[in-house]
Amino acid sequence: MPETLLEVQDLHTVFKTKAGMVKAVDGVSFEINPGETLGIVGESGSGKSVTALSVMRLQRPGKIVSGKVMFKGRDLTKVSEGEMREIRGQDIAMIFQDPMTSLNPVFRTGWQVAEPVRLHHGLDKATAMGVAVSMLGKVGIPSPATRARDYPHQFSGGMRQRAMIAMGLTTTPKVLIADEPTTALDVTIQAQILDLLRNVNRDFGTATILITHNLGVVAGMCERVMVMYAGRVVEAGPTVDVFAHPKHPYTWSLLRSIPRLDAERHEPLKPIEGLPPDLIDLPTGCAFHPRCRFTIERCSRDVPVLNRVGETQLAACWVTQSGTELKGA
Amino acid sequence: MIDPNAVDVALPRKEYEGEAARPAQSYWNESWERLRSNPVGMGAGVVVLLMVAIALAAPLLSTYVTHHNPYSIDLSATFSMPSKAHWLGSDEAGRDTLTRLIYGAQVTLTVAFLAVAVSLVVGGTVGLVAGFYGGLVDNVLMRFVDVLLSIPAIYLLILLTILQPKIGPIVLSTSDPRSLAVIIAVVGWGGLSRLVRGEVLSVKNRDFMLAARSIGASDLRLISRHLLPNVLAVMIVAASLNVGAVIITESILDFIGLGIQPPTASWGNMLTNAQTYFYHSIWLVLLPGALIFITVLAMNVFGNALRDAFDPRLK
Repeated sequence: MPETLLEVQDLHTVFKTKAGMVKAVDGVSFEINPGETLGIVGESGSGKSVTALSVMRLQRPGKIVSGKVMFKGRDLTKVSEGEMREIRGQDIAMIFQDPMTSLNPVFRTGWQVAEPVRLHHGLDKATAMGVAVSMLGKVGIPSPATRARDYPHQFSGGMRQRAMIAMGLTTTPKVLIADEPTTALDVTIQAQILDLLRNVNRDFGTATILITHNLGVVAGMCERVMVMYAGRVVEAGPTVDVFAHPKHPYTWSLLRSIPRLDAERHEPLKPIEGLPPDLIDLPTGCAFHPRCRFTIERCSRDVPVLNRVGETQLAACWVTQSGTELKGA
Repeated sequence: MIDPNAVDVALPRKEYEGEAARPAQSYWNESWERLRSNPVGMGAGVVVLLMVAIALAAPLLSTYVTHHNPYSIDLSATFSMPSKAHWLGSDEAGRDTLTRLIYGAQVTLTVAFLAVAVSLVVGGTVGLVAGFYGGLVDNVLMRFVDVLLSIPAIYLLILLTILQPKIGPIVLSTSDPRSLAVIIAVVGWGGLSRLVRGEVLSVKNRDFMLAARSIGASDLRLISRHLLPNVLAVMIVAASLNVGAVIITESILDFIGLGIQPPTASWGNMLTNAQTYFYHSIWLVLLPGALIFITVLAMNVFGNALRDAFDPRLK
């Protein structure tokens, strides 16, 4: 068992709003080992992005109220802003959802890709640009020396995301957090970017946290997966097992709602009934119980804790923890 | 550090081969192209440049072209009509009008450009800081600006002129063009800071700011390297439109006797001086008036052209 690279323990991040306190991240724990790929899935507002931003301490205006983010023996929630700046971009890099807006429109792309190495390795302009150009080449930008002189608006969406990935990799970070890296791209480009991320993970040994709401992406990319709902982890485990035998009704319903190519014609879709919960006023007990078809009396009373269910998985569900199998049409 | 050749994660390059159809065009290049294709705007720009050139060359022009000193009194040639000796006539003390107008341009344009430069720096900084940090910082700074903007500028100017406050060894006296510029800037940076703050608010929540933060950029770097270039265009346009306003302000101050003091020539105080002789020698009124008018007009037209060039959607 390799040493854990990054460990998040019972993280709580809140946002103060006029309507009340939003618990965006409500007691999330996970760990990632060197070179591993972890998927975080969940619907919009489930706290995936805020979890990632909290790891980087970029959650403003949100506030980390408790919990630990252990990295290299230090708790990132406690280190000074200066130390945090050293870690950002050097040890942990992040790729954002919308490549169209993640690059500064007034600077040449190469300049931006070179920025992390200039900040962290103190390289001069020319050397940094050399690193940027070679990295742009590696992420599949054709004639990188020429394209480095282009502005972001001259890049297509897929190329911009490649440039963002190149920017993240110039400092060979230990962890790469990709926050819905393919959501804003069309399907063929999505496949290319995912290929690229897979190669990066393999060739650079970068541990990757992939945030997505696309279960297919997780299936193809991640060794382990963590499912979030209303700011909490509801299920976690090896991707193969979670997908084959989901141990939380939310995961189960999510997987069931995916339309299948081999389904009967005119077979109706199977959505999850109801609406995502209001994060300011969460349902009592399990946040999923109003939408859950397996709900038992205890679900509306006690908040379930994440516990081992089956051989390899963790699930926060009273039903499966009591040994019931999730089955149904 | 990465050895550039150690790994290759590239997808096959072939399918992407091919150059961009057009060479890289920066935002500034494109704006310049648009500005160049606007003949009225370029004409106004040329007029402004001409004025600046004349002001800069004042000593040369007076030595080699007009052959007069702006202060030399010649009581044998008072109120002379335009002639070979005095191309644009002379005033009540026989001083050459053209020479005084040229030196006046020096004073007026120094005040105008310096005042705008100072208010750009002060207003720009305040706007960037207020917009970037938000919250309490923003509140304190912007309420201060509100107060500043709620006092009629002319009273502040008159007050500063009378008090002549000292900043270290420098006395802010309105009779010196540079001090006058600073005084006008001190009163006038508020509007600019508001404008910049508004622009910052719209830029700072864009993803690339978060992306820059995520690679470990400090606040100072975020502000100076990522935010400033994105609001610079707005600042430049506002500044160029402000130049005309400052020229007017300066002329008003001169005119009411609070600005540049005689015998130093400025367009404003030449006007004041000439009002006594309105019926007698009207060109003494018309010439400085016309120069103020032309310069302000040219500056405003040029400022508008700049705005159109930087933001074609506004047109």
